[in-house]
Amino acid sequence: MPYLFLVPVLLLFAVFRFYPLLEGLWLSFTNARLGRPAYQWVGLANYARLLDDTRFHASLWNTAVYTVASTLPILALPLVLAVALNRGVAMRTVLRSAFFFPFTLSVVTVGLTWLWLLDPVVGPFNYYVKALGLPAHSFLADPATAMAAIILTTVWWVTGYYLVIYLAGLQDIPRELYEAAALDGATGWKSFWAITLPLLKPVLLFVFVTHIIGSFQIFGQVFVLTQGGPGDATRTVVQHLYETAFQNFFQFGAASAMAWVLFALIAAFSLVQFRLLRGHEEY
Amino acid sequence: MKEPRAHVSRRRFLAGAAVGAAALPGVVRPAHAQRKATISFWNGLTGADGKVMDELVSQFADQQGIRIEQQRIPWADLYAKLQVSVPAGEGPDLALIHTVEVPHFASDGVLEVIDDGALSSKGFRGDDYLPSTWQGGLYQGKRYSVPLDVPQHILYINPKLMRAANLMAADGKPKVPGSKDELIAMAKQLTKGDVFGFAIGTINPGKYTWGFQNMLWQNGTNVYAPDLKRSALAEPAAVEVAEFFGAIYAKDKIAPPANASCRDAFIAGKLGLWLAGSWNFTGLREAKVDFTVAPVPKIFKQPTVWTMPHQFAFPKPKAADPAKRDAAWAYLRWMTDHVAEWTLKAGQISASKKSHSDPRITGDPVLRTLLAQAPNWQGGQATPKWVAAENLTRPVIETVYIGQKPGRAAMEDLARQINALPD
Repeated sequence: MPYLFLVPVLLLFAVFRFYPLLEGLWLSFTNARLGRPAYQWVGLANYARLLDDTRFHASLWNTAVYTVASTLPILALPLVLAVALNRGVAMRTVLRSAFFFPFTLSVVTVGLTWLWLLDPVVGPFNYYVKALGLPAHSFLADPATAMAAIILTTVWWVTGYYLVIYLAGLQDIPRELYEAAALDGATGWKSFWAITLPLLKPVLLFVFVTHIIGSFQIFGQVFVLTQGGPGDATRTVVQHLYETAFQNFFQFGAASAMAWVLFALIAAFSLVQFRLLRGHEEY
Repeated sequence: MKEPRAHVSRRRFLAGAAVGAAALPGVVRPAHAQRKATISFWNGLTGADGKVMDELVSQFADQQGIRIEQQRIPWADLYAKLQVSVPAGEGPDLALIHTVEVPHFASDGVLEVIDDGALSSKGFRGDDYLPSTWQGGLYQGKRYSVPLDVPQHILYINPKLMRAANLMAADGKPKVPGSKDELIAMAKQLTKGDVFGFAIGTINPGKYTWGFQNMLWQNGTNVYAPDLKRSALAEPAAVEVAEFFGAIYAKDKIAPPANASCRDAFIAGKLGLWLAGSWNFTGLREAKVDFTVAPVPKIFKQPTVWTMPHQFAFPKPKAADPAKRDAAWAYLRWMTDHVAEWTLKAGQISASKKSHSDPRITGDPVLRTLLAQAPNWQGGQATPKWVAAENLTRPVIETVYIGQKPGRAAMEDLARQINALPD
């Protein structure tokens, strides 16, 4: 009987999630193109084509670089800020709101703001760079710095969100544990390593897994800031997929194959993460 | 003191009104005769031209009693939305699209064929239009759209920077380059500190495929070979154009970086010669920027001017609705008759020749220059793959612009990608 309560949600899930997922899988084995009335079964041809698609390879590499390079700042910076705010610093509520504010903005607003901030000719960032006597630099147009600029933008955008999650986790840790540790002489770093970090493990796992999944799916920031450029230096898998499906001749079959490759990668990484970080600390 | 009001219940009032209406058949017309269709109109006029369109649509509604519900979506998203929604029967009654979109929408069955009878009965004749724009509505001998206007390139000049760089002609006007070498020499003279001599494109000059296409056409070549089967981009004429793109930024540093906003740089007085779209000039005037214009200079073999006319098209409806179609035709007719207002306010030369002799248009120095370019106008090739090829071009031309790839290798790679597009 209780399962009946699940029916509405399961129905919605089946219609809006599961069916499209299966439809996508089917399309990945066809030469479907939106607008073409009929399409044929092509077997693994779309997957085989990905082996020769150098732009797909570049987008996979860029996605991996973004994921790896953004993980540490996105995990660590909000944690540091959360620990600081949890200690009762002055204007805690104001600071918490200030840090969270960027996350209330849409990705397009964030992207356009940073696009202007980093503009090489009229942007304020380069104005101050020049004021310091340094040469102006086009961060988003240089293959060496474009990805770093995207990571910086993302860190600025999402730090507040993860900070709030960390704060919730920190406030869940019983104060008595710190008091007991202090009696045993463990304060500062020692209590952080021995109490805070182990007890934050479930929160860390959540942040880590959601960040990795989100990183594999990064699209908005790249699309607004660089459109994958310069060249293909910041092109990511989802952007390549989107362009294949909606801009380059509506190749739904080929794009579906990319989506399934991405899905497999995300599923594999998520499984590994759960295995590595499973377990729950009890004191 | 208030006068006592006689109380009339809502039910009694409605009943009385109904009896009254029935008793006065000559006064109260049947509802269906009063009802005018409401039509949906999708377009990508997201800039200042959108406000002008709003104004005209509202004037049309006041005069004709036909309501137009506009959806304004950035062009790229608009095209994706049309491709998805029309087959599902959820498309608009009318859409404004670019000429280069006609072939793929036509071949995918998104647009309805406009038959010559309907066209002439509504007063639309090819002779009233500039030929290249009228031809743009045809695909494989059938008409799918009716042209509105001609967005095109023009050369914007900052006279202050030109004066400072001693680039004034004997008549006191800024000099206009007449060749590639002259352009580069002038741009070098203009480039100083954070001021750049030359740029092509509104924003992201590194990705500005419309500028690349303009130069291809000036050099007598195109994206596809004349048979439209294979790309011509690996050929020497296209490679030469790609190398020019590499020269202006990566080699000579006379143009802004790949992702700079050329428009902002020009407004800020940091750009001397700016080859960009005609859609920018009304904004420059509003911003009170000191500028002058000249026709697109001959940088390669011929002074070809890039154009991409806007066209009105009827997306295929789920079921025919003659009232809505008539209302859409009425709007097209009205807009064509009032196109001078559109030209004056939105800054786009009309495809219809009717307004070209309007003294308000011929008296405007920018509109006059745009009109004078008409003999040199060229548009994209009539292949369904044109837009996909353009999307593939964007990142490749950027790699050349920033010096990441030499022109020849980039063009060979691009031609390979374009040739691999499915049929």
